[in-house]
Amino acid sequence: MQTSSSTQTIEENELDPRSKLCIVFALSSVAVFVQKIWLLALILMLGMVLTYLLGENLHLFKRFGRIIWLFVGIAVIQSIFTPEGIPLIAIGKIRLLTVGGLEKGVCFLLRIMAIIVPASIMISTGTREIIQGLVQWKVPYEIAFMVSLAIRFLPLLSEEIKDTFIAIQLRGIELDKIPLGKRLRMYSYLFMPVLSGVILKARELSTAMETRAFRAFPRRTSYRVLKLQNQDYLVMGMSLCFVIVVLTINFYYKGGF
Amino acid sequence: MTYPLETRNLSFCYSQHSRLILDKINLRVELGQVLAIVGLSGSGKSTLCYCLSGIIPLVQQGEMWGQVLIKGSQTREMNLPTIATRVGIVFQNPETQIFFPTVEDELAFGPENLCIPQEEIGQRIEEGLRLVGMEAYRYMSPHHLSGGQKQLIALASVLTLKPEILIFDEAMSQIDKVGKQRIKEVILDLKKAGKSIIMVEHDLKNLDVADRILVLRQGRLEDFVGLF
Amino acid sequence: MLGYSDKQQAFIEVNKIAYTYPQGTQVILDMTTKFYPQQFTAIVGSNGSGKTTLGKLLAGIFKPTSGQVLIAGKLSTRLKLGEIGQKVGYLFQEPERQIFAPSVREEIGFVLNFRGVSEREIAEKVAKMLNLFHLAELKDEYPFRLSRGEKQRLALAAILVNEPIFLILDEPTTGLDLHRREELSQILQELKLQGLGLVVISHDEDFVNANADRVLEISGGEIIADQQLHPNDRGE
Repeated sequence: MQTSSSTQTIEENELDPRSKLCIVFALSSVAVFVQKIWLLALILMLGMVLTYLLGENLHLFKRFGRIIWLFVGIAVIQSIFTPEGIPLIAIGKIRLLTVGGLEKGVCFLLRIMAIIVPASIMISTGTREIIQGLVQWKVPYEIAFMVSLAIRFLPLLSEEIKDTFIAIQLRGIELDKIPLGKRLRMYSYLFMPVLSGVILKARELSTAMETRAFRAFPRRTSYRVLKLQNQDYLVMGMSLCFVIVVLTINFYYKGGF
Repeated sequence: MTYPLETRNLSFCYSQHSRLILDKINLRVELGQVLAIVGLSGSGKSTLCYCLSGIIPLVQQGEMWGQVLIKGSQTREMNLPTIATRVGIVFQNPETQIFFPTVEDELAFGPENLCIPQEEIGQRIEEGLRLVGMEAYRYMSPHHLSGGQKQLIALASVLTLKPEILIFDEAMSQIDKVGKQRIKEVILDLKKAGKSIIMVEHDLKNLDVADRILVLRQGRLEDFVGLF
Repeated sequence: MLGYSDKQQAFIEVNKIAYTYPQGTQVILDMTTKFYPQQFTAIVGSNGSGKTTLGKLLAGIFKPTSGQVLIAGKLSTRLKLGEIGQKVGYLFQEPERQIFAPSVREEIGFVLNFRGVSEREIAEKVAKMLNLFHLAELKDEYPFRLSRGEKQRLALAAILVNEPIFLILDEPTTGLDLHRREELSQILQELKLQGLGLVVISHDEDFVNANADRVLEISGGEIIADQQLHPNDRGE
């Protein structure tokens, strides 16, 4: 690799993007496996504290307001189909909400949040740095670039879908007045502009990259070079310990709920 | 005599049975010249740009006859990275030419692909920014720049590959008046620096910087006589 | 002030509007103005001045953070996009976002279909639009294959087939060459004579000078000039 004598190493005290990736990966993957509610809650809290400490604001957190109804729905469905525990709300013999169902709903919500919240640790890290981290981890650079570019263009895509949806309504179609069958057929029309938009953008993008010599050689140099510092080794080590400890507790500690 | 860029009987169509997009184009670009090519939409302007910059036939498919010569070598026998160091191209849409979170990353991308050593990349970034007068924006995010400034950054990122020939494929069509003026000033500076420039345009008002104007009409190249 | 007396009812009224993006950047500060039928208003200003945002506010796509937009006398916040769309046609800057059908012909007709117009009437209207926009030769073409200018014309045709009474066009001349721009001018002038109100967002000076009755210049989210160009044309 290149010498890193120039100004282009990351500022001191700033965690290497690879360390951040380790934290995110440790927290999120653990959240997938853990079954116990209190453990999930603990992981979520840790995720939030770390996000805060690493200087990200918990903006993402506000968006969870939108999925609160999804959570209520899941709690109800769980209660109806697996009626465990004491019923809280019931209509006749149908239990609409039970303790067991509520528990599962809470569990679901915590898990989703515990998986997603740590990802916000990466938000203020530039894509180019993340790519460089991946490349220095020996991920082929084509893949690293493609993945991160895809992520960079996601917001653009969602904007495109929104605009398309607006455009079709502005042609004078009142969605709520159209019968369901016709409405479904109308939704199929939305694919066309969205798909053509994606293909067009992807083509322009790849042409622009290739005319700037992308994939000229199997290797490429980098103006930015990342260097792991002691703190990074420490963080990575702690992340690994964290995964081991939590999984051990989850599988071998039988008490509690 | 070899020209920086030359075509000999260049013809093109997308598939064997479709109509000719380019019909026996003979074009010579001289050193330090600003050549403008105007034409109606659908006249084949963008296709010509793609042929001149090697995107056709190296990336896009189609039937190409005749020759495109960059300093005497045929593009079909070269590879795109080699062409990229000789011919730079700036496209219409700034959004799909800029990928990275900082201007600096954007400019570094090209030279990195060519495996240029780190120190020299730093020099090229400085020089590229100086040429377009955007030194102050080095550490900024391109997404906060105006359309015209974005196009200047797209141009600077091409300049870090040190091409001798620059192609502007309707690069000013989405830019406001102030932005257009800046880009034209930079074109004149680049001309002074000895670069050959081809600007493809549909807006006649942008042609005041051109030394020579040609018209592309239904795939054929003609002299400009004031109308197209 | 503008020679439009209160005898004539404004179609869109903008009352002290401000607009802030969800991320917190304020793009429109404080605007009050009116748009009339049979009037061609150009909105000009540099990139990033808030032109497109204003257009979207006028079409009810965005709702103002404060102040009101009245479309045909009704608050934009109370109107559904579908209702607005029956009166107002809006052309997006990127034509790709509003082309839905797999062929040019179907694209022009498909909305009528959803609105329950008879097959025969649809065929008639589509044919008229195909001629008006010189798209007849391309009627079975896949829209994705069209050039930018052709897409622009198609998108406009598909909007006009709805017979809107007000049009908002965002940069309609992008990708159009001189001839096509000339044709677009003629079509828009014709529509104006038929009584349509037009708002055209554009940085194309020639096009604006040739067509606009009124030029609204905005900068930094505010109206900095409001100028009437051809007061005599309207016989006032």
